[in-house]
Amino acid sequence: MFFRRMTISLAVPDVLVARAKAGDLEALEALYRAFETPVYNLALRVLRRPEDAEDVLQETFLEVVRSIKQYRGEGHLWGWIRQIAASKALMRIRREQVRQTEELYEESVAGVGGGAGVALGVDLERAFERLSETARAVVWLHDVEGYTHEEIAEQMGKTVSFSKSQLARAHTRLRWMLDEGVAR
Amino acid sequence: MMHCTMEDLLALQGGEASVWAREHVAACATCGAELEALYQRVAQLKALPTRRPGRDRWPAVRDAVLTARRRRRERWGVWSVAAAAAVAALLVFRPFWTTSVDAADLARVKAQSATLEQQLRRYDPDGQVTSGRSAALCAALEDGIAVIDGELAQLDPNQVQARSAELVQLWQQRVDLMQQLVSARVTRAAYVGL
Repeated sequence: MFFRRMTISLAVPDVLVARAKAGDLEALEALYRAFETPVYNLALRVLRRPEDAEDVLQETFLEVVRSIKQYRGEGHLWGWIRQIAASKALMRIRREQVRQTEELYEESVAGVGGGAGVALGVDLERAFERLSETARAVVWLHDVEGYTHEEIAEQMGKTVSFSKSQLARAHTRLRWMLDEGVAR
Repeated sequence: MMHCTMEDLLALQGGEASVWAREHVAACATCGAELEALYQRVAQLKALPTRRPGRDRWPAVRDAVLTARRRRRERWGVWSVAAAAAVAALLVFRPFWTTSVDAADLARVKAQSATLEQQLRRYDPDGQVTSGRSAALCAALEDGIAVIDGELAQLDPNQVQARSAELVQLWQQRVDLMQQLVSARVTRAAYVGL
């Protein structure tokens, strides 16, 4: 499909934003088309399950439609939408409270890898997916999206120390999984 | 020999490491390699392929938007009619009102009107969340004020003295409507005494 082959551009004309603010459905759809992939990608990296990421995509744009009048053009529109998407994804983590289950899963991965010796191949993507949702969220927001620890802490309702320790712990685990070949 | 922890390496990457960590990583090959591996990992994370949604969720978003708009229109319809009827009644029955007619009264209501104008100017309706109901009321009140303004503008300057009673009455009605508009906008009350 042509759209899927296009290079993702996050630049949006002001006139399009103005039309969207006025409630123009075509303009709102154009915004959706412009940002659906980065929003989905962020949500998927954090939540891992495609259905959850699609739900976050939908919730994010419902919020965008409801609140677009409050966007005052300060900063890039993507920054504003990304804030909403990250918030929705983090809310989903809190709501579903799957962290405990995931941490158990993480422990079991660590146990298996301990005596298995060095396996071949390096797969950062799979190693990343094996982190807990909270750790994935912190790593993705900090390392990829460029959030500061202060911003992550605020979004998660946690402390800056929590964000820093989650990031350090996640990187230690990533390093270990990649060295041991657990992610293969 | 003590090496850098992951916290130290991340602090180095973020440009907020301690003096010790900076000096150590410059001298220690092991920690230098760990820091390089960290940079590589972050670069690889950024380079992970972009995933795209398998299903188009826009139809669901659009349907939700259209449903919300339809409901809002239905609510607005009811309240707009009520508000418009109330304003119309105010305008129709105004001849039966009696007011004292003199220059002092005229000055008083004009001053009240100016004060209310200032209050409204200070208030930024675009920056506020307004319910459909209060937006409809405000629109009806503004329409009523516009009608009165039109009548005031059409008064023949030569007849102003002779029609001073009518003039005061019009200004008084304008003040009444503006007070209700201020009340509706500032308090966002659903019922403003119409």
